[in-house]
Amino acid sequence: MANVLKRQIRRSAKKTSLYIILVGIACIIIFPVFFLFSFSFMSDYETYSEWPKPLVPSFKAHFMIDKDVEGYHLFIFNKSEDDFMPFGPLVFTNNEKDVDNLRKFIKLQSNCKISSQQIVEYLEVVDSDSRVEFTIRKDLLANYILFFQVVNGAPKAVLNSLMVAGATILISLTIGGMGGYAFARYFFKGKNILKLSVLFVRMFPAVSLAIPMVIILAKMGLYDQPLGLSLVYSVGQISMSIWITASVFMSIPVSLEEAAMIFGTTKVGAFWHITLPLALPGLAACAMYSFIGSWNEVIAAVVLTQFNPTFPVIVYKALVGSQGQINLITAGSVAQAVPAIIFTLIIRKYIIQMWGGVKV
Amino acid sequence: MTITKSQLSLSRETRKKMVPYLLIAPVVIYYSMFWLFPVINAVSESFKNVDGVWTFSNYIHIFKDPVFYTALSNTAFLVIFSVTIEFLLAFGLALLINKKFKGSSIFLFLAMIPMALPAVAVGAMWSSGLATRGWLNSFLMTFGFIDDASKFLFLAGGKMSTLWLIIIIDAWTVIPFVMIILLAGLQGIGEDVREAGAIFGGTKFQILRKITIPMLKPTITTAMILRIISAIQIWLIIVMLFGFNRLPVLLEQVVLNYDQLGAEYFERIGLALSVLVAIIVSAAAILYLKVSGSFEKEEKENG
Amino acid sequence: MATLELVDLAKRFSKKVWGVKKMDLEVNEKEFIVLLGPSGCGKTTTMRMIAGLEEVTRGTILLDGNDITDIPSRNRGISMVFQNYAIWPHMSVYENIAFSLKLKKMPAAEIKQRVQETADMVKIGELLKRLPGQLSGGQQQRVALARALAVRPRLFLMDEPLSNLDAKLRVIMRTELKAIHQKTEATSIFVTHDQSEAMSMADRIVIMKDGVIVQIGTPDDVYFRSANMFVAGFIGTPPSNFFTVKCIYNNDKIALEHSQFTLDLDPKGFEELKEYNGKEIVIGARPEDLLVVPDSEAVFTEEILVVEPQGSHQVVALNLSETIVKMIVSAEAKVKPGDNIGLNFNRKRLHFFNKETEDRIHLKNEVE
Ligand SMILES: Nc1ncnc2c1ncn2[C@@H]1O[C@H](COP(=O)(O)OP(=O)(O)O)[C@@H](O)[C@H]1O
Ligand SMILES: [Mg+2]
Repeated sequence: MANVLKRQIRRSAKKTSLYIILVGIACIIIFPVFFLFSFSFMSDYETYSEWPKPLVPSFKAHFMIDKDVEGYHLFIFNKSEDDFMPFGPLVFTNNEKDVDNLRKFIKLQSNCKISSQQIVEYLEVVDSDSRVEFTIRKDLLANYILFFQVVNGAPKAVLNSLMVAGATILISLTIGGMGGYAFARYFFKGKNILKLSVLFVRMFPAVSLAIPMVIILAKMGLYDQPLGLSLVYSVGQISMSIWITASVFMSIPVSLEEAAMIFGTTKVGAFWHITLPLALPGLAACAMYSFIGSWNEVIAAVVLTQFNPTFPVIVYKALVGSQGQINLITAGSVAQAVPAIIFTLIIRKYIIQMWGGVKV
Repeated sequence: MTITKSQLSLSRETRKKMVPYLLIAPVVIYYSMFWLFPVINAVSESFKNVDGVWTFSNYIHIFKDPVFYTALSNTAFLVIFSVTIEFLLAFGLALLINKKFKGSSIFLFLAMIPMALPAVAVGAMWSSGLATRGWLNSFLMTFGFIDDASKFLFLAGGKMSTLWLIIIIDAWTVIPFVMIILLAGLQGIGEDVREAGAIFGGTKFQILRKITIPMLKPTITTAMILRIISAIQIWLIIVMLFGFNRLPVLLEQVVLNYDQLGAEYFERIGLALSVLVAIIVSAAAILYLKVSGSFEKEEKENG
Repeated sequence: MATLELVDLAKRFSKKVWGVKKMDLEVNEKEFIVLLGPSGCGKTTTMRMIAGLEEVTRGTILLDGNDITDIPSRNRGISMVFQNYAIWPHMSVYENIAFSLKLKKMPAAEIKQRVQETADMVKIGELLKRLPGQLSGGQQQRVALARALAVRPRLFLMDEPLSNLDAKLRVIMRTELKAIHQKTEATSIFVTHDQSEAMSMADRIVIMKDGVIVQIGTPDDVYFRSANMFVAGFIGTPPSNFFTVKCIYNNDKIALEHSQFTLDLDPKGFEELKEYNGKEIVIGARPEDLLVVPDSEAVFTEEILVVEPQGSHQVVALNLSETIVKMIVSAEAKVKPGDNIGLNFNRKRLHFFNKETEDRIHLKNEVE
């Protein structure tokens, strides 16, 4: 009896510690990502003028306008100081130009929208009374909007990136898939060496490959074109696709194809009717892998594009070039990360299968 | 009559034998056009100077430059420690979670986020986090672990601490990736093999050493090769955190020479450097294969 | 229905590995042939060559007299049940069965009728809408069967179709398969490594070993007139007992001398053994051909080692000079370990083998 109890306790202790470890790992993974997202919703004021920085973005900002002999003063509530702090131009008047500047300043620094009309009304209240406090809802997506406005050609870059990814998927999946099928289904001389050497293709840094490719692509008329870039990306992705599709095809028994051949179709027909539908999830996962790979690549794209940069290139240039404006850059990063994360969510189910294991 | 028939069947057999080669052909063609050709081009250009004259000067420039040796030793340090640590942790984790548990699907998704994250995003994440007034210090201060005076100077540390910082960040980024590959391999082995080992009286450690690891060898080889290849090519995160030339590594120097210095002279230096990187990467990968005995297995399978 | 002829068929996988070394076989119309042999003897390879899934290295395959050796599988007019069923997991049971009919452009109504008919025959008429993943192993097996039957093949191939089923279901399916064969009268080739399966189903059994045919014959042929020691040892449970003896012929008497006993034979009916005078030969005795007799009539007596009750009978094991001898006694016989029993041979049923070649020494008046 005591033994049974002991065993039960031990088992549940084991289970609990497993979960504790899992939750711990999950936290370690999520923790930095959370701040990446969090920063992308913060205003300049939150990121630069509060210390310690807020951990979560606020949804609104509190302001105060006061008046003394020199003129009006604007204050903003600073959470870390727990007090109103001077904000913006030290002194201003109620003439139209000043008010408009104030409006712009508030929008830029605190991501809060307020109309000039409203400011004038507040100033009138200040005139009659002593001071006025007001709260404005923050525009959470302001950084994103600003990023796409400020960073030159961001929407076009997204389009370029999508085209590059699409072409990369197409090239690497067809060529790599054929190779993967050969590795999965046939025995031939030098098979193992060949399979290992396709991994070695990745030894030559993509950036170094990109440099001579400039000339080759220029000759082909593909320099600074999405297709040209995808030709370079496919070098690495084909080798990945070969490995992934090989394990996908290996998980489909040959006898399913053979049965189809006995029951009236050709080898090609068997592939079409039987193998392809069964491999589709795995192939989709492989495609997503190529997508993530090409969507995220930076440096070859820096080398191989000029007027048609991809999205990662402009985010990279924004980050390396401009010191500061971290909230803007995190917004760009998140904008770039979100599609990749969404695709990860889609391929999650197949990823283990893709590497030759079974579905979780 | 019989002769024609046997000839016919022979040709059909040879036709069948050609199928795998036909399927592989596009790969080979693609790689000769878009890999071999540029590689040969890069290698030969790296032996020419700006005027197109054959020379070793690019390599001599590199070998005379003390930064190259710093970059080399930094890279070696990073690769050795990060690959080892990442592998051990990932393997431990894979063994730990190699069972079905509630929420395994969600956990898998979370684990995949770091590898889906663009390098630029990872850079932005850590540069905003590790800055002296970044979110990490903010977090620690908000919860009272440190005060303003004792905040960490993550990025301002000495060489050793910055190297370790990179190793930790790299581990955060790629451990899930390695873990998923290993997990897939483990699930491929199946529970029954290990159970059989347990029935025949193996301890957990013995089973791991005598059954699990040998059976996992192909998967481990794949994971290690992929990791070694990409670990040697680490650079973006370093540049995003420290800028160029603060913590020189091989590929960062390639990018610096090619992209940043902006003169054809340096472009050729960059090319020569990248050739060296490729040689180092393949040497490391081959060394790993030799040491781990993967080559022998290949030969055995072929023979 | 059709006749099949294999002429000098061989398959070589690599320099050293032969799947099949030489096969010559004629299968008659409506016949149910079983390929039997230990695993690795080339049964599957033979089957796959007939099906066209494997190129032949040498030889010819004739179906109804037409050479089909180089014809693609799909045009051979055969169908096959795979060992692992190989039913397509992404298609419903209906789609699985209808697959080949659709490819043949059969009118939809006819397909529907044919599928239903075939499914009913193998008792899965209610499962047509399901996906294979929702079926038990036995049901999947029936789907594979229905799929193969629906095409009304000229030749019906089955590669160990029952080996993945549990013991009870296996025996049930034997009977059903036999009944289906009687109904469809399709010429069938059935592969198994289970000799009792072969014995119970076959019109003729083809026994293979190491890529060659050892014996072709009816179940009675292979049981009572085993062509060599391999067959005698492979067929029957428990298998035959072998005794190496020295054959002495003098004074018109044949004496077979074993280290533990001497068996006297009347030369009449065993004339062929005279040639082996002074040489060693091997006696093969089926377990039921060892008889318990009073000690006075015994050829030898031995202590019982183990008794294995089987319900209908009992298997008794003895240890005769370091080899285990197994025999069958009736269920009523009172035997227990440690008893000494006297034994004799049912002389008319004994097999004799040449010790060097292990081949059968044929006697003129063998039991028919
Ligand atoms: N694809 C193959 N490549 C090489 N050898 C094979 C192949 N298929 C079967 N063999 C070999 O041929 C022999 C016969 O195999 P098989 O016909 O499958 O035997 P069975 O079905 O009687 O168990 C075995 O020795 C086996 O190892
Ligand atoms: Mg077989």
